[in-house]
Amino acid sequence: MRSLAAAGVALALAGCQPSTDVGYVEIKTVPVTTNVSQPTIYLDTIKVEPIRKGSAVLTQRVGTTKLATDGAGGQLTLCEIVVKKNRITTVTVTVLERPPRCQCRNTASGSRTCVS
Amino acid sequence: MIGRLVHLAAALLFAAVFAMPAAVALAEDSSQPDAYTPVEEFSKQLDAFKKSIPELNKKIEDSAASVDRWTDVNKARKEIEELRSIVGAALGAVSDNGPVSTLGTQALNHARGKLRALEQDTRFRTEEKEFLLEQWRKLREETERATEELGAARREFAELLRTLQSNEDFIDELMQVRQAQKALEVIQRLTKDIRDASDQLKKLIGAIKPPGV
Repeated sequence: MRSLAAAGVALALAGCQPSTDVGYVEIKTVPVTTNVSQPTIYLDTIKVEPIRKGSAVLTQRVGTTKLATDGAGGQLTLCEIVVKKNRITTVTVTVLERPPRCQCRNTASGSRTCVS
Repeated sequence: MIGRLVHLAAALLFAAVFAMPAAVALAEDSSQPDAYTPVEEFSKQLDAFKKSIPELNKKIEDSAASVDRWTDVNKARKEIEELRSIVGAALGAVSDNGPVSTLGTQALNHARGKLRALEQDTRFRTEEKEFLLEQWRKLREETERATEELGAARREFAELLRTLQSNEDFIDELMQVRQAQKALEVIQRLTKDIRDASDQLKKLIGAIKPPGV
């Protein structure tokens, strides 16, 4: 049991040094919501855990990723996020609007794309 | 600017190093089989992360010092890239979908589940049950505190990374200004050369006199 756990720790620590290029996405929600009123948010089809205290930082592979929510006919893309190696891209989601709206800290010119 | 980075780094390292031991100690003290669960794994992860902090701190200090010394923007940019890589790795460990945070959530869920289960448990005498409940309540509180501190470390690392990347962007802009200045110098030199050549040509033309004049 203990050796299994130790292996788990070793594996997890190996995860601290990512082998593929990764960057970070910071998702902020305004207003700061409780789990109950929070819309479901997806980052490239992967469901994001309910955001506590209005902010979450997620490790994400380098590239362009989609931020989406549940819509009438499936997932509805809110905006795109460009993730660069060892850089953080911040997006604020206004959750009171229906559908929620993205506000990029830095926006690529003339688009709904957030950049770092 | 770099001094502020180091200050920030020191603050978060302080938080990371001194906030964790309580949960670690609690988990280590427990010899019950049930304690050897996500709670213990979480404490081991925290311990490993905590041990990596002094090295990280030294790297940040060394790099920041060399950035301060250098006026060469290329070297400064390279140093900032390396710093971003260090801080990025630390942020990766404590990010919400990173290994330490994920284990923290599991540990907290486990402690809460144990409390709920023990409250319904009828196997033990009242005083035994109270003792176990008290132990798990302490464990839950310590785990909650540790995850809160992880959240604080996450915010600090994210802010540090943001500062580094804005510094790097500033250096990039400086490099572009420098390159634009160099381009301007080339144009100015070229203009001067053309003017000189034109003057020479004018002189030459002026010197040409038709025969008999």
